[in-house]
Amino acid sequence: MNRLLISGFLITLLATCTKPVDRSWKNIERSLQTQLITVADGDTIELPEGNFMFTRSLTMDGKANIVIRGKGMDKTVLSWKNQLEGAQGLQVSNCHNIVLEDFSVEDAKGDNLKVNDTRGITFRRIRSVWTGGPKTENGAYAIYPVLCKNVLMEECIAVGSSDAGIYVGQSDSVIIRNNTAYWNVAGIEAENSRWVEIYGNEAYDNTGGLLIFDLPGLTQYGHTTRAYQNKLHDNNHENFAEEGNIVASIPPGSGVMILATHGVRLYDNEIIDNQTVGVAIVSYELVAALNEDAVEQPNAIGGAQTVNNRFREDSLYNAFPYDIRIYRNRITNSHWFPAVSNDIGKLLILKSPFTPPDLLFDGIDDPKRPQREICFDENGDVRFVYLDAAHDFEKYSMDIGPFRCTPEMMSARQ
Amino acid sequence: MRGFIAILVLIGLFGCEPKKNEAVVVEEEVAYSGSSTLGSPTLSSYGFFSGELKRLEPASGVLEYSINAALFSDYAFKKRLIKLPPGNRMSYHPKEVFEFPEGTVLIKNFYYPADFRKPDEKVRLLETRLLILKGGTWEPLAYIWNKEQTEAYLEVAGKSIPVSWVHTDGVMRTIDYSVPNLNQCKGCHLKGDKVMPIGPTARQLNHGVQLTAWRDAGLLTDLPDTSKVPRLASYENPHEAIADRARSWLEINCAHCHRPDGQAKTSGLHLSADVTSALALGIGKAPVAAGKGSGGRLYSVVPGHPEESILLYRIESTDPGIMMPEMGRKLVHTEGVDLVRQWILSMK
Repeated sequence: MNRLLISGFLITLLATCTKPVDRSWKNIERSLQTQLITVADGDTIELPEGNFMFTRSLTMDGKANIVIRGKGMDKTVLSWKNQLEGAQGLQVSNCHNIVLEDFSVEDAKGDNLKVNDTRGITFRRIRSVWTGGPKTENGAYAIYPVLCKNVLMEECIAVGSSDAGIYVGQSDSVIIRNNTAYWNVAGIEAENSRWVEIYGNEAYDNTGGLLIFDLPGLTQYGHTTRAYQNKLHDNNHENFAEEGNIVASIPPGSGVMILATHGVRLYDNEIIDNQTVGVAIVSYELVAALNEDAVEQPNAIGGAQTVNNRFREDSLYNAFPYDIRIYRNRITNSHWFPAVSNDIGKLLILKSPFTPPDLLFDGIDDPKRPQREICFDENGDVRFVYLDAAHDFEKYSMDIGPFRCTPEMMSARQ
Repeated sequence: MRGFIAILVLIGLFGCEPKKNEAVVVEEEVAYSGSSTLGSPTLSSYGFFSGELKRLEPASGVLEYSINAALFSDYAFKKRLIKLPPGNRMSYHPKEVFEFPEGTVLIKNFYYPADFRKPDEKVRLLETRLLILKGGTWEPLAYIWNKEQTEAYLEVAGKSIPVSWVHTDGVMRTIDYSVPNLNQCKGCHLKGDKVMPIGPTARQLNHGVQLTAWRDAGLLTDLPDTSKVPRLASYENPHEAIADRARSWLEINCAHCHRPDGQAKTSGLHLSADVTSALALGIGKAPVAAGKGSGGRLYSVVPGHPEESILLYRIESTDPGIMMPEMGRKLVHTEGVDLVRQWILSMK
């Protein structure tokens, strides 16, 4: 019996250890960059099977109707492990209708795959990874569409981002579906984006599973996000973001965090075993307060968002979340203690020992909007926490009663 | 049993240790020649030069010219020429780049003498960049010189070229000189959504008798009385005022983006030499989206305090996420940085 068990262990160990295979690398840097510049609108660039190493960012600019297609995420690998110039791996800018599919991007100094100012961008079966595992030195974003319209991300895998894995920022009309994210600080994040649908994704072993954020000082503000049928579980990874970055304030063990945005519908998700909090709804005031000592970081590479302590000067920015419905989710947590490696965790263990909340609202009042329309319904037997963070937790409460959705709120929920 | 455990421990300790994988990359074997739609594959075929190509002697109809303040490109020397289509002229503009006739080519050659103290000896040509005005649009191209210095070939994908020289201080310097790919050209040359030349403006070309000679040769129209032509200081000229030299350096190194229709317009920092607004020059101006590039400093320019000024922090950096300009250099231009430092120091 013992012997069997031990050999079983041995086999498992050996199996897990054989994973880092030595890959043979080829250089197609010049020919591929040339193709990206000379490709005629409407053409397809076929990436061959193999492992390819690059020393500079690859860029494509000002093209229309281009498909860049590999032979599969396991078969076509583009790596920037030896990068000498530029921060990005592959960057696409100022394009129309671009499809990127069936290849892997790895180990860029900054963002692995960045697409900006592009109308119509599809990422399909792209694997974007920092192969050394979760590390602060890793680039910020694995897959990074920003300032885009009509974005589709599907069946992608994001691993190891020191900011967000599956990310969309300052974009409109976005579908994020059937992707997988692990070992990132933020598994999936929609930031300052409008009309975003997030469904069928799985995020686990990140610091936070799903973030829906609105941040100050950017070109556009977000609203209207629906997230459903996602599996957001075991997001308890230590936070390895660079200090001063906004995601550095995510407590390990966060299933979903909704920050300073509105028009959010979160339903039919499985939010399981996230150690600190299932779903947290917080205002930018709380983030700023927790980061009062943080200095903006000079050394991060790439596009990571830093905490902006001058957010009150931004007259167009609303620091307070509102119009949020959280319903029909399955939220469970078998952990007894929140992660205590950051301020929110410490706070919760103080205020609510042995019962990390499934649902949390920071309760910081919006002076301009007394009715916030934040409500919860049909989430099963959940532990709720109202922090009253602005008043030294004076009215700290676990009574979800005042935040139950009324029939009127639910009928207008879509 | 102990043995088993020992083995387990050993595997645990060493089995998963990833190998130090210095990736070995099989070099690319391409003789790429398929980009003729963009431009001629060889520099010689344009006929810009007469005689031995590497001597860069202008052929007839090709004009060599100088500017007052040159962009810092890791100390590369540059030789500039214009080819105007026969019988055509350029026309003067007091502020913007001159107007050029269709078919004009701006030619810029980048080279390093082996020893900067003997700039005319043992010269190594690295690249020649062209801006060709075709169909009303300026098209950028880059040609890389071969080792034999007999020809330069079109290269759209850019290249890193290791280069060494003995600097003016007698010390050997080595860098990986970077030839931009054609997408990167837009990084500096985009104005609005159009590629534009940067150097050939009145204040840059107002150098000795250059403009009047062109007028007299019938190559330049609309040149006003020379007293009315603006002139940019030469930042290398120690006889000019520090402020003028610093502003001149900032114009050529920064203002192609930091201008109201440049790529850095959203920053609110405008660095053309003719800007007079203190705020636009960054004095007491908080950064807009510098993020990590601010280095924790509060304002672009703090009068009297270069060490508190974001502007200085960024021109002193070589970190790709912080440095300004964002590309075109691997080194800090210490002479230029000193000028800007003195300029900020002298402000009250």
